[in-house]
Amino acid sequence: MSEPAHTHAVVVIPCSGIGKSFGTVSREAAYQLCENLCPDQARLVALSKLVLGEGEARQAVAANPTVTIDGCKRMCAAKVVRESGGTVVCERTVLEVFRRHKDLKPEGIAELNEAGLKLARVMAEEIAETVMRINAAKEGGHA
Amino acid sequence: MPDLSPRKAGIVACSCEELAEGTVTRLAALKVLHALRPQDTVTICLPLFLAGGQGDRAFARFHPTITVDGCELRCAARATEMHSGKPAVSLVVSELLAARGMDKPEGRRRLNEAGRRAVEVLAEVLAAEVDKVLGRRGRLATTHGAEPQSRGQAACSCGSGIPVTVLSIAGQPVELVALPLVLQQFREAGRQPDEILARELLDAVKVYNLIPPQLEAVYRQAILAEYAASLEQEAAK
Repeated sequence: MSEPAHTHAVVVIPCSGIGKSFGTVSREAAYQLCENLCPDQARLVALSKLVLGEGEARQAVAANPTVTIDGCKRMCAAKVVRESGGTVVCERTVLEVFRRHKDLKPEGIAELNEAGLKLARVMAEEIAETVMRINAAKEGGHA
Repeated sequence: MPDLSPRKAGIVACSCEELAEGTVTRLAALKVLHALRPQDTVTICLPLFLAGGQGDRAFARFHPTITVDGCELRCAARATEMHSGKPAVSLVVSELLAARGMDKPEGRRRLNEAGRRAVEVLAEVLAAEVDKVLGRRGRLATTHGAEPQSRGQAACSCGSGIPVTVLSIAGQPVELVALPLVLQQFREAGRQPDEILARELLDAVKVYNLIPPQLEAVYRQAILAEYAASLEQEAAK
């Protein structure tokens, strides 16, 4: 019998930032990670569900290693995952990546500029390596 | 409720990253915040009700709030009521589109045509609700027929929030949301500190803060003392 899908994947939770470009970058990085780079290894869960305390979302973060991607220093995603009983194995902020790539200044909230999309891609690629490492270790542990 | 600041409607979108309808909520909210009603609206990220401080959690008690959800789970409406205050209005995209016979949006990352139409319709409905909760009936809400308000800074509450003052109550530090604005309002009315004012101040503070009934007398005196101190500070300027 196969296990439920959520037992295999790393859970990815971006912040729900709506007021700043950095929030949009966090969301775009999460989509690139879950849809393009690690579609079979990473699963996106909406932060709003955890704020509500929805059962399936809480179970997902309780049962799986979780990666959070926050747009600003308030670190909503990381804090809410911990409050929900989850384990954050990788806690990233857009600001931290931007500091290393100052040529990629994100602009636009509804629609990111080209630099913002590139910044999201850089971030997603960095996190993808972590996701693959986590899943490899998980599989090794089960072997 | 005391009128503490230029009244704005709060908009809280679920912004669900899993569903195209969540993207619709976010983009429609942004359209209202940036283009349709920039001077009348403010927003906050839903997770700040859990991850933020008292000032963030006071959002829906401070602003008449409209929540916008993508699906029947109603995360924004329920979480806002649970952590902040009861929303004045709750909208659900899936219900709104079904009632109008519109197609289900697709593409959580990049909306399809149906999704883009949904954003336009939801933004118009939202703008109309903003006008209603602010008592500005009759203003055209449409994005097509009316001039948008002059563009202003999109108002996000993150990091600015509602002012909070820490008072010592019965030897414990206690955060009181919106106290600076309450004091300012009474100062501007030229009120002098006395027992009548103390009761009025307490009533105003209770709108935004939970005050244990058995401690009301202590709070009343502490707030009155803070008011007297604020008068002195103003006079010294």
